Amino acid sequence: MDIAFRPRPAVAAIEVLDLQVRLGGNPVLQGVRLRIEAGRMVALIGPNGSGKTTLLRCLLGLHRPDSGSIHLLDEGPPTPHLLRRVGYVPQRLPLDPSFLLTVREFLAIRRPRTAGWFWRPTRFVDDQLHEAVAEMDVTRLLDRPVAGLSGGQLQRVLICSSLLNDPELLLLDEPTAGVDTPGEEDFYGLIAEVHRRRHLTVVLVSHDLSMVYRHASRVYALNGVICCEGAPEEVMNAESLRQAYGIHFTPYHHHHHHHPGGAHGA
Amino acid sequence: MELEPFMLRALLAAVLLGPLCGFIGVFVTARRMSFFSDTIAHAALAGVALGFLLGLSDPTVPMVLFSLLVAGLILWLKERTHLLNDTIMALLLSGSVALGMVILSRLKGFRGELDRYLFGDILSVGWGDVVLAAAVLVLVGSALLLRLNDVLSLMTAHPDLAHVAGVPVRAMNYAFVALLTLTVALSIRLLGIILVTSLVVIPPATARNLAGSLRQQILLSLLFGLAGAGGGVALSYPMDLPSGPCITLTLAVLFVASLAGIRARRSQAPSP
Repeated sequence: MDIAFRPRPAVAAIEVLDLQVRLGGNPVLQGVRLRIEAGRMVALIGPNGSGKTTLLRCLLGLHRPDSGSIHLLDEGPPTPHLLRRVGYVPQRLPLDPSFLLTVREFLAIRRPRTAGWFWRPTRFVDDQLHEAVAEMDVTRLLDRPVAGLSGGQLQRVLICSSLLNDPELLLLDEPTAGVDTPGEEDFYGLIAEVHRRRHLTVVLVSHDLSMVYRHASRVYALNGVICCEGAPEEVMNAESLRQAYGIHFTPYHHHHHHHPGGAHGA
Repeated sequence: MELEPFMLRALLAAVLLGPLCGFIGVFVTARRMSFFSDTIAHAALAGVALGFLLGLSDPTVPMVLFSLLVAGLILWLKERTHLLNDTIMALLLSGSVALGMVILSRLKGFRGELDRYLFGDILSVGWGDVVLAAAVLVLVGSALLLRLNDVLSLMTAHPDLAHVAGVPVRAMNYAFVALLTLTVALSIRLLGIILVTSLVVIPPATARNLAGSLRQQILLSLLFGLAGAGGGVALSYPMDLPSGPCITLTLAVLFVASLAGIRARRSQAPSP
């Protein structure tokens, strides 16, 4: 496929116009305008309550905005058909340890035709599965229950699963929320590698500013609206970002807040 | 030995409903819906009472309909109010039992009928119940060929992930609840309102103790459902006991035996 080696035309992976969402009477998104060019690895940041999660849910077609428009991959709103070209990596799985789904079974769900029928043991006979499993280094986890994985292991499995669709756009929600600090650097290295190899658009949605600085080529700061955007060093020094995060904000320091809102908060 | 016709019907119903409950139960327990199952079972009491009030000799239809109504009410209240699931279900469980008891106490000679529905009675299984159970089993079997287990697994793992993968999550949720309601309502003939949840909850729990993957858990759960329901019905006639307690105790014995399986697995596992 030589098309992958040519630079992609500067089409928009995500184009959002005047998006407005009210939740329980409160305005959460107040006219968000956002354009993310295809092929980039960018970060969408904002403090808790800034509307990150709501915006992400709108992008995935999980929440219908009150007004405004969303275009994904230059095609249209997030319909089930279009979402086949999108990978989504949630923060965690709300799974009870009693649920025995193994990593192998979880991955096979995305490749039903090649994974063997329900009553046969799941064997991977398909190159795409082998490739993604090797790429995310999850071979040793295959027979472990998904519910028993550590935060970092789970993230790798979730990304592996989302890559099975060969997505053009990958959305990661608080990707290092359950990962310890030494694991974080490896983890972003892995995502950067996926981004380079697969030429896809990666959007990291996070409240953590420090990781953005090193890994994203462009940063969009959200606080009800996109309050600033640009190269990481520009955005980090912007007055509007200080206001969004409050006066105690120090951009080069790790912020490990516990955010009670979680993936489905505000 | 020749099987009495009622015994044949009861055994057929057990052999059909046991595996069905075993399969559904894996997802009911993983999705923390055991109490949901209990609530719609108790709602059936009001359906039975309404059936008798209307003068029906076989209250299957009002029983299933009333359980479906309560299941729908649970989902509707969950979407429309800020009440917790537990609260909604406790409300509807007690409400329907109270309604059923008020109606039954207005009818004469309800005492014997009540026990049949509370604890199960193999004599009460009609051909209609057997045919309905077979139809539901065929339906679920065909859905399995279309990878119902994958869809349910993904929805259990993460509803949003299922949505992005193209699963119509809301519709599938309603379909799953309808399937659970139908299965539970039909199983009430064998187990009774009070014990019916045991056939949904104990087989997957027993299977969980022995299995190493979801696929193994589902297959074992089907098997334990079959063994528990079939064995319980077979025991209940010669021992002249209500079928519900017989099935539940058979399931419980299997569960206790499976605990030995956990110990075996532990001793095999490499120490951390």
